[in-house]
Amino acid sequence: MSGPARPIAEEELHAYVDNQLDPERLPAIQRYLQEQPEVAQRVAAYSAQREALRTAFAAVAAEPIPPRLDLEGLIQQRLVRRRGVSWALAASVLLAFILGGAGGWLLHSGMVLSTDNIALLTQEAVANHVVYAADRRRPTELGAEQRDDLARWVSNRLNHRVAPPDLAADGYRYMGGRLAATPDGPAGQFMYDDAQGVRLTVFVLPMGTADSAPIQPVNVAQMDGCAWIDKGVGYVVVGKLPAAELKRIAEQVRRQFASFT
Amino acid sequence: MSGVLSRIEACIPALRRYATALLRNREDADDLVHDCLVRALDKLHTRRDEADVRAWLFAIMHNLFISQLRRAKARPSGDPLDESHEASMSQRPEQENNLHWRDMVRGLNRLPVEQRTVILLVSVEDLSYAEAASVLGVPIGTVMSRLARGRERLRQMAAGEEVRPALRRVK
Repeated sequence: MSGPARPIAEEELHAYVDNQLDPERLPAIQRYLQEQPEVAQRVAAYSAQREALRTAFAAVAAEPIPPRLDLEGLIQQRLVRRRGVSWALAASVLLAFILGGAGGWLLHSGMVLSTDNIALLTQEAVANHVVYAADRRRPTELGAEQRDDLARWVSNRLNHRVAPPDLAADGYRYMGGRLAATPDGPAGQFMYDDAQGVRLTVFVLPMGTADSAPIQPVNVAQMDGCAWIDKGVGYVVVGKLPAAELKRIAEQVRRQFASFT
Repeated sequence: MSGVLSRIEACIPALRRYATALLRNREDADDLVHDCLVRALDKLHTRRDEADVRAWLFAIMHNLFISQLRRAKARPSGDPLDESHEASMSQRPEQENNLHWRDMVRGLNRLPVEQRTVILLVSVEDLSYAEAASVLGVPIGTVMSRLARGRERLRQMAAGEEVRPALRRVK
């Protein structure tokens, strides 16, 4: 090596112990340690500390994970917790519909919880749309960049393979989505917005029946939508859009889901 | 389970190891890991990518640990230092480079928490100095000086050279 040798820094001795040393400096450090037995002894002590601590705590990391730290279990518990919250919110939304002037649709149907599948489906879709699409700060649970994670998660929980439809060609950007709670179990909600920030949601709920129903316009409060059922799985597109556009998007969504399964 | 979730899952053994080393009590350690995982799931949507999941989880756990410490400080501090540990350690200066790991853990537990966390993150968890700095929310220079001070103090304890300020605190 030519030129004066760079002095050894204390930090480099630790980097040497921790295998984080710049490889170019290794020969210089090794030479230095040979020339300085006292420092070498000190560095050897640090290495022994490192090894002793790694040995001391190795057993913990090798143990099987206890049930309470099972990640799948934690996700489930969290959904149950969320469901409690979203039910309180959904209930208040439904109450607002009934009390407000816009409650006509629900009252006309004779009872709040209609047994009609399309009506049930629409109530759930709209309640979740009203709660989450209005949320400026956290409208989705997993954002657009976690599309695959969400698809797998929702598919697993719905026991039905789904993926967020791509509506970019229709002028709607995919924002993300979440698992939603309904009395019939988990549902998937995917959210989109257009250039003006108008949001629409696509709601998927396995209905536990083998029914099918064609695409039909639905309306709850001031919220328009299109709902249909394919082989027991209910779908609703909800948003404040012109009826014709809603229908076009619903058809597009239906095509994408149909090609998927 | 895949993507971020499977990466989180893969970190659970290391999180338990770090929590156990910090808290010295298995049950408290698993409580801390549990809280850390719940917090991570809460914050999942804030993650842009899947990189650095490990450092991210350690940072969450570190913050929970620190706020636990703050709460604990409001209460009178727990177990006084065991003098027999010191006696047994000072009797064996010849084992300086070949310490039994139990003695090393006792020595570690006597270090200030700032030095303990750095030593554990770097020596046991294999975090880079930069990762340790980001987990602890301090500059790299601080990580290096805590590491140097902590290791030197551990070495002196093992060699029986320590002045024992700890003894005076016991009274």
